[in-house]
Amino acid sequence: MGLLQGATELFPISSLGHAVLVPSLLHWSFKQSDPSFVPFLVLLHLGTASALLVLYRRQWVEIIRGFFTAAIRGEMRNDSERLAMLLLVGTIPAAVLGVYLEIRIKALFASPSQAAGFLIANGFLMLGFEVLRRRAERRVALTSESRVDQEAHFASAERISFRAAAVVGACQALAFLPGISRSGVTIGGGLLAGLRHEEAARFSFLLATPVILGAGIVEVPQLFSSGVPLAEYLGAAVLSGLAAYASARFLLRYFRSGRLDPYGWYCIVAGLASLALLHFGW
Amino acid sequence: MKSGPVAVGLGILGVVCIVLAVLYAIGALQLFTSGPGNHYKHAILLIVLAVASFVAANFARPKTAT
Repeated sequence: MGLLQGATELFPISSLGHAVLVPSLLHWSFKQSDPSFVPFLVLLHLGTASALLVLYRRQWVEIIRGFFTAAIRGEMRNDSERLAMLLLVGTIPAAVLGVYLEIRIKALFASPSQAAGFLIANGFLMLGFEVLRRRAERRVALTSESRVDQEAHFASAERISFRAAAVVGACQALAFLPGISRSGVTIGGGLLAGLRHEEAARFSFLLATPVILGAGIVEVPQLFSSGVPLAEYLGAAVLSGLAAYASARFLLRYFRSGRLDPYGWYCIVAGLASLALLHFGW
Repeated sequence: MKSGPVAVGLGILGVVCIVLAVLYAIGALQLFTSGPGNHYKHAILLIVLAVASFVAANFARPKTAT
């Protein structure tokens, strides 16, 4: 589960959807309705967040320093300060929606068929984002250039508008639905806001860290009171972190010229196959 | 947007968020919660919102020339 979560968390294919679907399909002994299931997933997410903190350690130092400097001064004077404020604006919608919709969302976690349905929807979302992106590329006549040259015409994460950051942040809340990928919708939102694929992925990964850490802070204490095998769960979190680190490195390289389409098609096929297997009582 | 009234409004919003955070933390407020009890998750969120409001208020505050 740790490797699965870590490997799927940063790919735009919904780790939560896979965490609900795969144990059901493989008949693992996880009970998704168990009270420790969500805190366990959050612990795995903390492994992922740790990997992102390690990957972006220098940037986070700059961002935190930039946040306090700009907050006290009441003015942004460099990219780190702007990025810090963009991340604050992007984090708030997901945090508000997460806290106030939590109970309704948790009720959905127990249903693998709903997760499969959302996974299919996620696939169509990814394809839709790329359709809109190709349209934007055609508008600025980039069709004849190489992918790397095309990408160079789009912006870096620091240049996204505050309104777009808030919308991308709100998109994160969709990922509380198992099957909808947080990184997928935020990368897609970043693309619509005019970011390069690699920069949209970077903004998505940076935006994920405070939300995942925040969720961990409030959920993990439940693990200590539910009599769960904590050592095994912590081992899974470490594996999750290692897999996430490797995934992030791969994705940042991939998105220099790659698109979301392969992941969209994967989600549609995986969702349909899961629905079929669940329907026929696999 | 630099505006004194906007800055004051955001400052007041921040104070309201802190008051609500305290009420959630001590269990006196049950709005949008799963039931009675202390709601630290809601309290933490409101503290974050309060910080964001104060930061936004500082950004909105007209700066005096030095």
